[in-house]
Amino acid sequence: MAKTILIVDDSASVRQVVSIALKGAGYEVITGNDGKDALTKLNGQRIHLIISDVNMPNMDGITFVAEAKKLPAYKFTPIIMLTTESQEDKKRQAQAAGAKAWVTKPFQPEQMLSAVAKLVQP
Amino acid sequence: MTAPRRFVVDEELTIVTAADHRERLLAFLGDGNGVRVDLSGVADLDTAGLQVLMMTRNEGVRLNLPVEFTEPSPVVTEALALTRLEL
Amino acid sequence: MALDDDMREALDMFITEARDLVQGLEEGLLELEDQPGGGETVNAVFRAAHTLKGSSGLFGLQHLVEFTHVVETVLGSVRDGVLDVTPGLVSALLPCTDHISAMIEGLAGGRLEPDAAQAADGARLLAGLEPYLADGSAMTAGPVVAAPDAPPPEMAWRLVLHFGEDCLRNGMDPLSFLRYLSTLGTVTGVVTVTDRLPEAADMDPESCYLSFEVDLVTAAPKTEIEAVFDFVREDSDIRITPAESQFDTYVRAIRAMPENDRIGDVLITSGAVTELEMAEALRIQQERVVREGNQPVPIGEILIEQGIVPRAIVDAALTRQRRTTETRSQDTRTIRIDAARLDKLIDLVGELVIAQSSTGIPNSAGPDTSSEAQGEVMRLVDEVRHSALSLRMVPIGTTLRRFERVVRDVCMELGKEVSLVITGGDAEMDKALVERISDPLLHLVRNSLDHGIEPAGERRKHGKAQQGTLRLNAYHDAGNIVIEVADDGRGLDRERILAKAIERELVAPGTTLTDSEVYNLIFEPGFSTAETVSNLSGRGVGMDVVKRNVTALRGSIEVETARGIGTTIRIRLPLTLAIIDGFLVGVGPSSFIVPLDRVTECVELPPGPLGRDCMNLRGEVLPFIRLRQIFGVPGQPARRQNVVIVEQSGQRTGLVVDSLLGELQTVIKPLGILFSRVKCISGSTILGNGEIALILDVGPLIAGHSDREQTRQAVPVG
Repeated sequence: MAKTILIVDDSASVRQVVSIALKGAGYEVITGNDGKDALTKLNGQRIHLIISDVNMPNMDGITFVAEAKKLPAYKFTPIIMLTTESQEDKKRQAQAAGAKAWVTKPFQPEQMLSAVAKLVQP
Repeated sequence: MTAPRRFVVDEELTIVTAADHRERLLAFLGDGNGVRVDLSGVADLDTAGLQVLMMTRNEGVRLNLPVEFTEPSPVVTEALALTRLEL
Repeated sequence: MALDDDMREALDMFITEARDLVQGLEEGLLELEDQPGGGETVNAVFRAAHTLKGSSGLFGLQHLVEFTHVVETVLGSVRDGVLDVTPGLVSALLPCTDHISAMIEGLAGGRLEPDAAQAADGARLLAGLEPYLADGSAMTAGPVVAAPDAPPPEMAWRLVLHFGEDCLRNGMDPLSFLRYLSTLGTVTGVVTVTDRLPEAADMDPESCYLSFEVDLVTAAPKTEIEAVFDFVREDSDIRITPAESQFDTYVRAIRAMPENDRIGDVLITSGAVTELEMAEALRIQQERVVREGNQPVPIGEILIEQGIVPRAIVDAALTRQRRTTETRSQDTRTIRIDAARLDKLIDLVGELVIAQSSTGIPNSAGPDTSSEAQGEVMRLVDEVRHSALSLRMVPIGTTLRRFERVVRDVCMELGKEVSLVITGGDAEMDKALVERISDPLLHLVRNSLDHGIEPAGERRKHGKAQQGTLRLNAYHDAGNIVIEVADDGRGLDRERILAKAIERELVAPGTTLTDSEVYNLIFEPGFSTAETVSNLSGRGVGMDVVKRNVTALRGSIEVETARGIGTTIRIRLPLTLAIIDGFLVGVGPSSFIVPLDRVTECVELPPGPLGRDCMNLRGEVLPFIRLRQIFGVPGQPARRQNVVIVEQSGQRTGLVVDSLLGELQTVIKPLGILFSRVKCISGSTILGNGEIALILDVGPLIAGHSDREQTRQAVPVG
């Protein structure tokens, strides 16, 4: 059974490229345009990994992670936060909210695949 | 002493279901006949799931009850090979 | 990544999206210009830049990443309130959006790289943003692609992985990490340690109780293995050590490395230890020092104890460690203190010396016991004085080594080849003196480079090595420090100096002068032999200023030169300015102190005619100076006078005094401004009995005397 990954990013092209890469590696992918949109995708379906950007309109990534962690079905879901070098404080906030993994932006698809593979195999 | 009851693990034996599985397995052991854990349907197994299986085995030894694991699915076999563990 | 159809589609998406983002960026900036306070607008423009950068990176568009990174950094400062929105900032940012837009359109036209004009444009725009960046705040956007090296050999590693109890709850599954390891290489062995798994009743099914020992054979460097556990590092205990079978490989590799004075560098370079592990070991070392207050445990020991690296490898690294530990530990043993505090201490010691000498005045009535105790006190005070003074002493080497740069720069400027040789850098002298001698030395060095050492061509013609040599040498001599600036240049030109001196009316034409008198003319005010005023030495600070500075420090300067061979300027300075060992002499009611380091012996003045000014000292003629006469001390000389023989620059002179009162340590009190023009006296001191004694400055005293002799002899002739 393929593992399902939720990608949350306000950039359609990021969602697209990451989706292509992850699907290519054998994962199932669903996407969210921002925190608010992503929360609606958390409707109880099994999700094995969440990848979320930090800076997004409507609901930022850190709020989204904190909300997701409140839902019993996603309490233990690993979360990769997309941080930037200059956002050490954001990274700490994200970790406190429950996102213990991260990928530093800008990244290439291979880097994302490698981070995902450490946490979930397809 | 009747034969051990058969316990079928749902498709997911992970952190998500570990607490639930632990309770149910301990309850099975509680009836004093031991348990036969059917692993054929396991589609997802992680460390938490593995720990629950080991706990069940240990508890059987402690209570001197038969605990048997049967028909490991490919996922279970892979995890056991990975950790060089035997059940 | 190949641009297959999916990716082409994604790129098209990116282009569409980027156009929107650039437009949003532009509109936001214009809005901000009107309403600089708009918090939501600030967020929006920042996010636009941020998203642009992130997406560009995904497509490997490094030029766009780098450019938008800077724009993002600036906007980040605005968002964080560090930077205000000004018309200037907006004007600097707007063309950036145009530039990004141009690059996006290029992309749409199929150009993945900017053309030369665009690249130049981008660089110019970024330069325009520089004023808005906090000091070097990430002009680089971090590497996106790491260039693969030639595959390194495979190594065997032993990994001991104790995952934190919470790791499962955090979504981190050890089994996943184990699986991932096999993508790095071959997992040759796994032991799952189940000891910590509690009985069923005590077990929290969401806690992690398993540990793993993994043998991994991989060509990946240790840092890459380490990186596998980045996400669990904080609450796990991850040890990665070279497998035992591999020890020899490391030992051999370390032996083949160049010597290095830092064991950490050796271990990291060898690949046995990662920087992260080293940082952690250093943290443990620091923590222990703080907690236990002991000397730090050697870092190697901590690495062994923490199981990061085996002893065999640490030992190999230790032997590679260069033996510079002595100087290094000296560094760590020094502390910085306020010079004023030191001066205060030395002042106090000075007072103590004075107080001590008042008790030291012979007291025949005193019982023997007290004189014994007194002797002890004197000895102690003397020691205190020495150690207090030594606090001010610093090696002159640091100052001398500073000239390496000067020599290099000046040589570049002059097109000369000169090697600087520094010797005796460990000779110590008073810190204040070091500071005050550095300018005069600088002048001498420049002078040597400028006028002394010939250009390479000229040197070759004279059969000299093409490269000139400038030597800076320092050594202690009879309570003084001597600093020499020696070059192997053309030497001083006696005739030219004399001609110039006559031209400058420093010497009357036809005067016969000894060589050393001629050479000393270069120290006369207003004398300069350089025919062209060069940029270097000829800037109005002549040798006379050098001499004046040296003299002000109670020092002397002399020159030694040989035509075509070189010139040596020798500066002689006291070791310290604060206290000297003196020899107290009496002339009538007055007391004088002769610096002890200048005194060679004392003899009784042989009877003879009053007017003569030399005596026979063991067959040699010794000129002498009657202090009574020089300082105009009233009264009749004592019936039996004494001669204190002093030596200055190899020249011996007698000082005729009434009485010899003995040695004493003297704190020099500078003369007031009123006496600043008085030569021959370098200061005064207060004696134990409260009287004042003047400290003789032997150099000018003798020099002045020979001058007067000359004038006296010259007058009848002329």
